[in-house]
Amino acid sequence: MVNLIAKSPLWGQAPLVSAGVTLAEVDLGQVTSIAPFDMAVPGFPAPNTVVADGAARLVWTGRGQAFLIGGPVGDWAEVAAVTDQSDGWAGLSLLGAGAVDVLARLVPVDLRRLAVGDCARTQLGHMAVIVIAVAGGFELLVFRSMAQTAWHELATVIKMRGARLAC
Amino acid sequence: MRITCPLCGPRDRREFYYYGSEDYLTQPALGDFDAIDAHLHLRDNLAGEVRDLWYHEMGCAAWLLVTRNTVTHKISDVVQVAGGGVGILAKMKPEEGAL
Amino acid sequence: MRYSGLKVITQGLFGNKGWGPVWRDPAPKGEYDAIIIGGGGHGLSTAYYLAKNHGLTNIAVLEKGYIGSGNVGRNTTIVRANYFLPGNSEFYSHSLKLWEGLEAELNYNVMHSQRGLINLFHSDGQRDAFVRRGNAMINQGDDAILLDREGVRQHLPYLDFEQTRFPIYGGLLHPRGGTARHDAVAWGYARGADQRGVDLIQNCEVTGIDIEGGRVVGVQTTRGSIRARKVGMVVAGRSGQVAAMAGMRLPIESHVLQAFVTEGLKPCIDHVVSFGMGHFYISQSDKGGLVFGGDIDFYASYASRGNLPMVEHVMEAGMTLMPMIGRAKVLRSWGGIMDMTPDGSPIIDKTPVDGLFIDAGWNYGGFKAVPASGWCMAHLMATGESHAVARRFRLDRFKTGHLLDEEGTGSQHNLH
Ligand SMILES: Cc1cc2nc3c(=O)[nH]c(=O)nc-3n(C[C@H](O)[C@H](O)[C@H](O)COP(=O)(O)OP(=O)(O)OC[C@H]3O[C@@H](n4cnc5c(N)ncnc54)[C@H](O)[C@@H]3O)c2cc1C
Ligand SMILES: [Zn+2]
Repeated sequence: MVNLIAKSPLWGQAPLVSAGVTLAEVDLGQVTSIAPFDMAVPGFPAPNTVVADGAARLVWTGRGQAFLIGGPVGDWAEVAAVTDQSDGWAGLSLLGAGAVDVLARLVPVDLRRLAVGDCARTQLGHMAVIVIAVAGGFELLVFRSMAQTAWHELATVIKMRGARLAC
Repeated sequence: MRITCPLCGPRDRREFYYYGSEDYLTQPALGDFDAIDAHLHLRDNLAGEVRDLWYHEMGCAAWLLVTRNTVTHKISDVVQVAGGGVGILAKMKPEEGAL
Repeated sequence: MRYSGLKVITQGLFGNKGWGPVWRDPAPKGEYDAIIIGGGGHGLSTAYYLAKNHGLTNIAVLEKGYIGSGNVGRNTTIVRANYFLPGNSEFYSHSLKLWEGLEAELNYNVMHSQRGLINLFHSDGQRDAFVRRGNAMINQGDDAILLDREGVRQHLPYLDFEQTRFPIYGGLLHPRGGTARHDAVAWGYARGADQRGVDLIQNCEVTGIDIEGGRVVGVQTTRGSIRARKVGMVVAGRSGQVAAMAGMRLPIESHVLQAFVTEGLKPCIDHVVSFGMGHFYISQSDKGGLVFGGDIDFYASYASRGNLPMVEHVMEAGMTLMPMIGRAKVLRSWGGIMDMTPDGSPIIDKTPVDGLFIDAGWNYGGFKAVPASGWCMAHLMATGESHAVARRFRLDRFKTGHLLDEEGTGSQHNLH
């Protein structure tokens, strides 16, 4: 059987580094939507938060829905509707001291208030985005079909910010 | 204008989709054409405090019942239509007290 | 006072000191044959044609502010007859014909400029829809020309023909479409009505409608009660409130629509250009300002101002279509209150109350309708019968299912 190469949404895209900010694609691994039949189920994250369990993270993504990123589904299928989303999303990381300033131009939420372990479902320009606060910056999840657009929007802002800081 | 989503917190108006007056929450009986007409078309259309339905489209996807002043755009209350319940029926009939 | 070239020259020679007020400022009488509530474009044209076409001159227009303080003085002045549906088509066609004779009719320069309107399309499906619309316009006796991409480029070379999100496939040119000076339309009709004996009563808010035995007998106002056996409600965005005084709930939700104007520039945009996919339209005023706008803000509102997301959206759409305007500075933005109906079309009809009539639901397109709306509302109030070109603007059409959903967007007030 031929060996198919699974290409990530931004396959071959080199990281962008400018004025203390680094934008790069991240491999999210397995992404699974967990939609509990009863929202009061234990272990389900509170709104706008992430429950971490080793390498696996359960990220709140909306009313009655969380994304399990980078971990096995385990027992969730017994208490929730579980769907594989792995190929539907693109992951980006935006790290560095200026990351919050970059996102401030595209995301209508005050991201200075997010600490590690927090997340927000909001918009990046006109796109839907899940913002996860991580050490040193943010991880962003956008629809796979929007990956290039998201990169373009972010890269434009990063370059403009770099240019302004330089003059 | 900013709307404080009970789940997501204070958010910009652009994240929300406006549907219309709370009249949409009253399901008319099938065959009652006056009630259906009122449900779909007729509005009090008040200049002042109203309650209308918004959807947190770019956020958590919750339907919200927003108490808002149409003259000042001041928002005084926001609750989830589903009031903790799930499913379309809970959306159609907000629980007593949730209002 | 009749205006003439000679008058302008002699006034110019003597320092323009001889111009007097153009209409009287009468105190309200105790009784009239008919009352029009609302001194906007539609109320004034209704009064004018009641007097002119039907000889009814013992009438009053009651305006809560000053003449022209409502939407008639806030709109972006586009005048066109490019409707598709029977019901709308013949009405706006009639209106455009009235516009074409309006300056002579009123002896007033309303600066009606038929500079041509181009509606752009960006896909095969949209082209098909515009071909149909164009044919409907031609069948109605109006004019429509289908332009391909090169045809659009000849008229509008400054558009961004390279952009890929909404590639420009072509446009539907409506040569007789254009603009007019909005205030002048109000002033012209006001002057004409006043000259025919109509009392224009400003600062007179109607606060109640008197009904006896199912028939209207007069109104309560901030300047006392006034009796009349015929009353027309012509109050645009305030229709819901005024109708509530007669115990009615209307198929109307009021929404805010914003508009923008830039600093004055040399002539650069010769047409009215409409970019439906991006929700943006633009024209250049005779003063040189670029006048543009987009969609309503989408939430029910009585505030004559909107919110920033829509401002940003309109600017983005404009920049997508014609990046050259990015250098122009926006001077002002403002909002007006639209009476949105569930099908986007208006109402000119009787009400369940005898003698009480309604002219409302003009959404964001009622400026072009000012002449025909007055014409038809006057006909209805004088004869008790709907005018032939306004026959389908029924108040009960939502209940009976005879909708006039020009855009085909369904029964939701803010989607038209
Ligand atoms: C930003 C904007 C852009 C627009 N662009 C266009 C366009 O390009 N082309 C187009 O065709 N249309 C356009 N429109 C729509 C058009 O302006 C309106 O449909 C039309 O002006 C409404 O009719 P009117 O002129 O009679 O309204 P108005 O001028 O609003 O008249 C209604 C009057 O009723 C008075 N009134 C209200 N309540 C009372 C009361 N209780 N007692 C006494 N008086 C009362 C008000 O003070 C007001 O003067 C636009 C509207 C806006 C806001
Ligand atoms: Zn929310």
